Amino acid sequence: MKSLWGKIPEQIPRLSVLLVILVVLFIVVRSRLVPPDFGKYGHYRASAVDEIISQEIRYAGHEVCAECHDDVVGAKKAGYHKNVACEVCHGPAVAHTEDPGSVELRAPRARRYCPLCHEYRPSRPTGFPQIVSNSHNPMKPCITCHDPHDPKPPVTPKECHACHGAIARTKSLSHHVYVPCTRCHETPDEHKVRPRIVVASKPKTREFCGECHAKDAPSEKSIPRVDLATHGERYVCWQCHYPHLPEAR
Amino acid sequence: METIVKELFPLLKEITGYIYPNEIELQWGILVVVYPYVTGLVAGAFILASLVKVFNVQELQPTYRMSLLTALAFVIVAPLPLLAHLGHPERSFEIFFTPNTRSAMAMFGFVYAWYLMAVLLLEIWFDYRGDIILWVKTEKGWRKWIHKIISLFSKDTSERALRFDKKAVKVITIIGIPSAFLLHGYVGFIFGSVKANPWWSSVLMPIVFLFSAIVSGIALLLLIYMVVTPLRAKEIDMACLDKLASYLFYVMIIDFSLEALDFIHRIYESEESIKILAELFSGKLFVSLIVIQLLIGMLIPLGAIASVKMFRTPGELKKLIYFVSALLVQVGIFTTRWNVVVGGQLFSKSFRGLMVYKMTFFGLEGLLTSIGLLLLPFIILYILFNILPPWEKAREA
Repeated sequence: MKSLWGKIPEQIPRLSVLLVILVVLFIVVRSRLVPPDFGKYGHYRASAVDEIISQEIRYAGHEVCAECHDDVVGAKKAGYHKNVACEVCHGPAVAHTEDPGSVELRAPRARRYCPLCHEYRPSRPTGFPQIVSNSHNPMKPCITCHDPHDPKPPVTPKECHACHGAIARTKSLSHHVYVPCTRCHETPDEHKVRPRIVVASKPKTREFCGECHAKDAPSEKSIPRVDLATHGERYVCWQCHYPHLPEAR
Repeated sequence: METIVKELFPLLKEITGYIYPNEIELQWGILVVVYPYVTGLVAGAFILASLVKVFNVQELQPTYRMSLLTALAFVIVAPLPLLAHLGHPERSFEIFFTPNTRSAMAMFGFVYAWYLMAVLLLEIWFDYRGDIILWVKTEKGWRKWIHKIISLFSKDTSERALRFDKKAVKVITIIGIPSAFLLHGYVGFIFGSVKANPWWSSVLMPIVFLFSAIVSGIALLLLIYMVVTPLRAKEIDMACLDKLASYLFYVMIIDFSLEALDFIHRIYESEESIKILAELFSGKLFVSLIVIQLLIGMLIPLGAIASVKMFRTPGELKKLIYFVSALLVQVGIFTTRWNVVVGGQLFSKSFRGLMVYKMTFFGLEGLLTSIGLLLLPFIILYILFNILPPWEKAREA
């Protein structure tokens, strides 16, 4: 036994002692610093859930609103704002549900509130109603014309750019600037009232673009021409060319 | 909020094309550039050391201990840019105590700890142990005690013990090579695995990172060797220098080929991102990618070292060319990191616009901190050279 011990080089026991010290130190420090309930449910402290639960609840949820304000909630359900919860505009409502008499909820009436969602931004989806608030009936609070619970426009928009702002702005930079939207899209009147259900049409044939761009088309000479028989035969033109900015590459 | 707007608003004017609203602010700045640069130097310096022990390149013996200590000095600094960037350094130990095995970033802590403790410190300890015991015998005061503690109060200088040291060093180096590959390959992996970013997302990324790391490590050692030796009033070993330059040359050729392969692959694939990337190369990254990284950091040093190899060059001119080339390589590799980290954030995910990065000078994320972090390893290295002189074999004294 003694000879075996003697055979081990001196370095091994010294490093082993250091390793043991480090491992023990790690285990001791870890047991002190890691909360005992860490990892019970997942990679977090289990008691964190209770701490979060014990936080004060401030939002009541829109189902509670319907219990007293069923008329308003009913109107909202049928309108464009059906997916906007009541508390988005009226603020946290728990205090109001507990004591409706003394705690009143306020709705923002100032003109700057609605543009938080409806100001024109190129990144907003096309078809989402957007305005440039500086030029859209300046100074008037939005609610003088629009009922926020059923925000149908008081007058059906005449121009497409009321909803399709990004397309209108893109088109205004392109060679198609003087082509009216309705030259290519058939827009039933219903589209302006129920835009997602009754949609505008798109050109379905190559010959449609050919009305201006075909070799023998009776259009202005400066318009670029293609031979429809040989140019990208299987595809409708807009599958390759973006019609609102055809010069984009 | 107001300060953020004040800082970001001027950037709006320099944006071209279309970007998403949350892309105006670049999240990874110069500190995240410094991090892979420093880690690369660690891996590169270690690979150079392994050339001596595993591949028996005897000419490089004078740089062996120097490269180990350089790797140690830089590995100590490697996590600091991350800690400064993330904030709350006091929480960093939690990645060790509650390891999250599904996060590659969290696992880095273990890769780092393994490399530092199981590879570098252990190899240095075994290599120096015999010498330290001899130093302790002749020393007095605090130096004696520091050396005693470092050697873990070891006393055995028998032939058998020294033979064991040698064997241990060799085994650790063999383990160390894949570990060094892991350390820096991992850094490349972090970028290469970001699938949403076409500039980063590439399987070649860890390999390109690794070879550029070896390039920068060898170049750094060449610089350190050329500066330190005259300071000690010693003659530079030309055979060693030539060998260093040769290895630098070969690895640079591999690195260059890999980067060219990556480039050709991208162009041939021509994914939808290629147009915006082309715009990036020819515009915002032209100077840092084409001029500095490719021309100044790669082609000129390659040409210079190649011409030294081809023509008979007088010793002093040779030294000058090696020195300047190694310096240019450092600049080149730093810009490589810059082009990856910052370049990858300069184009919009819409592929239709380019952003801009404005570096601050002061502050935790600024240029000053980065310069400090790049100087810190040299201060540590100075201290290490003092405590563990890499050139002094006590037995010969």
